[in-house]
Amino acid sequence: MTLTSKPLALIVLVMLLGGIAFSSSMGWWTTESSKQPATFEEGEFAGQANPADIRGSYTFGDIAGSFAVTPEVLAQAFGVTGEDSSAFAIKELEAIYLESGYEIGTASVRLFVAYYTGLPFETADQDIYLPRSATDILLSLGDLTPEQIGYLEKYTIPTGITAATLEPAVGLSPLPVDSSAPASTEYSVKGKTTFGELLSWGVSLEIIEGIIGAPMPDPAMTVKDFASAGGLDFETLRPALQMEVDKVKP
Amino acid sequence: MFTVFGKRIRLFRPRSIWVRRVVQWVFFLLIAFISVNHTLAESGAGIPVLSSASLHAVCPFGGVETLYTFAADGLLVRKIHDSSLVLAGIVLLLSILFGPVFCGWVCPLGTVQEWAGKLGKRLFKRRYNHFVPARIDPVLRYVRYGVLVWVLYITAMSGTLIFESYDPYFALFNFWSTEVAWSALAILGATLLLSVFVERPWCKYACPYGAFLGITNLFRVFSIKRAESTCKADGACSIMCPMNIPVDAVKVVRDHQCISCLECTSEAICPVAKTVVFSTGGVK
Repeated sequence: MTLTSKPLALIVLVMLLGGIAFSSSMGWWTTESSKQPATFEEGEFAGQANPADIRGSYTFGDIAGSFAVTPEVLAQAFGVTGEDSSAFAIKELEAIYLESGYEIGTASVRLFVAYYTGLPFETADQDIYLPRSATDILLSLGDLTPEQIGYLEKYTIPTGITAATLEPAVGLSPLPVDSSAPASTEYSVKGKTTFGELLSWGVSLEIIEGIIGAPMPDPAMTVKDFASAGGLDFETLRPALQMEVDKVKP
Repeated sequence: MFTVFGKRIRLFRPRSIWVRRVVQWVFFLLIAFISVNHTLAESGAGIPVLSSASLHAVCPFGGVETLYTFAADGLLVRKIHDSSLVLAGIVLLLSILFGPVFCGWVCPLGTVQEWAGKLGKRLFKRRYNHFVPARIDPVLRYVRYGVLVWVLYITAMSGTLIFESYDPYFALFNFWSTEVAWSALAILGATLLLSVFVERPWCKYACPYGAFLGITNLFRVFSIKRAESTCKADGACSIMCPMNIPVDAVKVVRDHQCISCLECTSEAICPVAKTVVFSTGGVK
């Protein structure tokens, strides 16, 4: 059997385009990821999402859908804020931190999410950097292993490097990532102070929970809102929290 | 056809496989539109009727790169999607039947190299595509297998598309994006420059996907075949071959570099009908 160019052209077009149409009808043709990371297949964490499979195209909101970490905590950790932090795509981080000289990107988010949620994550032979604000939040959790703390000490970018001078992502503004320059310039507990800010200032989770007498709510929640929702008086919580803040930020 | 002294004489005019150029244009424009639309879609300005898939999603080599990770862990390498596996399967089937037609008819990087080569043909005439010394050229043709092994190894070990930073195809359709590494742009530039001297330099010496598909030349169903009984041994088929395969020296082309472009056949350069053909079965 001999083929000439025209039938061959037709076969190439039909097989490629027809193959795509067929696979599409069978549901095999997907050109986007599901925005859901793969899960651990065995062991203690079987069935839970694997932070190592977080991808650059994910938004903070996508991550929040699979892990116990809110977009607000991620935004605070990586110095990004705006009206809708859940829409922030993590591949934008590299551009934001480009001028810092350190690679803060998808791997940084994977590391942060793993340490924040207590899920396994392999850091051997990897140089994954975190901004100081992210490290502060992780350290304030108080449940990291000595190895994890050692890793953070080694790979936290030096104090003073911020994202503040860098171009913001669409609709979002970078915040300073230096913990010495938080959003509120003073370390005073006010009505709009969030639990996330308390963590980033260095007050541990246990101390916060001890003062409020309950598990810590969403880090993006303000202390005042928490008090109102629980029928507490903000002014009874504020001095105790301020005292703890003063201990770590004299 | 014209008449001289009462005899009807047919003058041979070399033809080109024009339909191949049409198919090349179709796929070049398709990939270009998809790639531009992907960029537009990221800023919310995509054209709805066009696919806004990423370039990785419509590249069959991604399906090859992710094979190890897929077999070992059931996962796809980051940035690779199911569509890449589908395309890899279709292209492999096409190659088993017809050889690497993907390279000769579809791949936009091959097309662009051919376009650059037109300038070289104009500048250097017959010297074009014959600059690489014959001593080292056959050895260099196997470098692409080294590239293939390296790409598969680093992808399997890292779980990421490290080759993206060196891929001229990715650079060609994303040169406006900050995602493209300078190394990829440099390799694209070097490929286009070398194309003025050598036909399809990336395909010949470095393309890992061409290396992978080239293996099918050893057992493909349809092959380029030369009938010795009618061959005039004018060497036209070998001269025309973009991959410098000595077609006039073999009965069946099994060279790992053949891209099934059909430019050597009796439909194009060979002046004798049914002498160099693309067929199954034997030849006389």
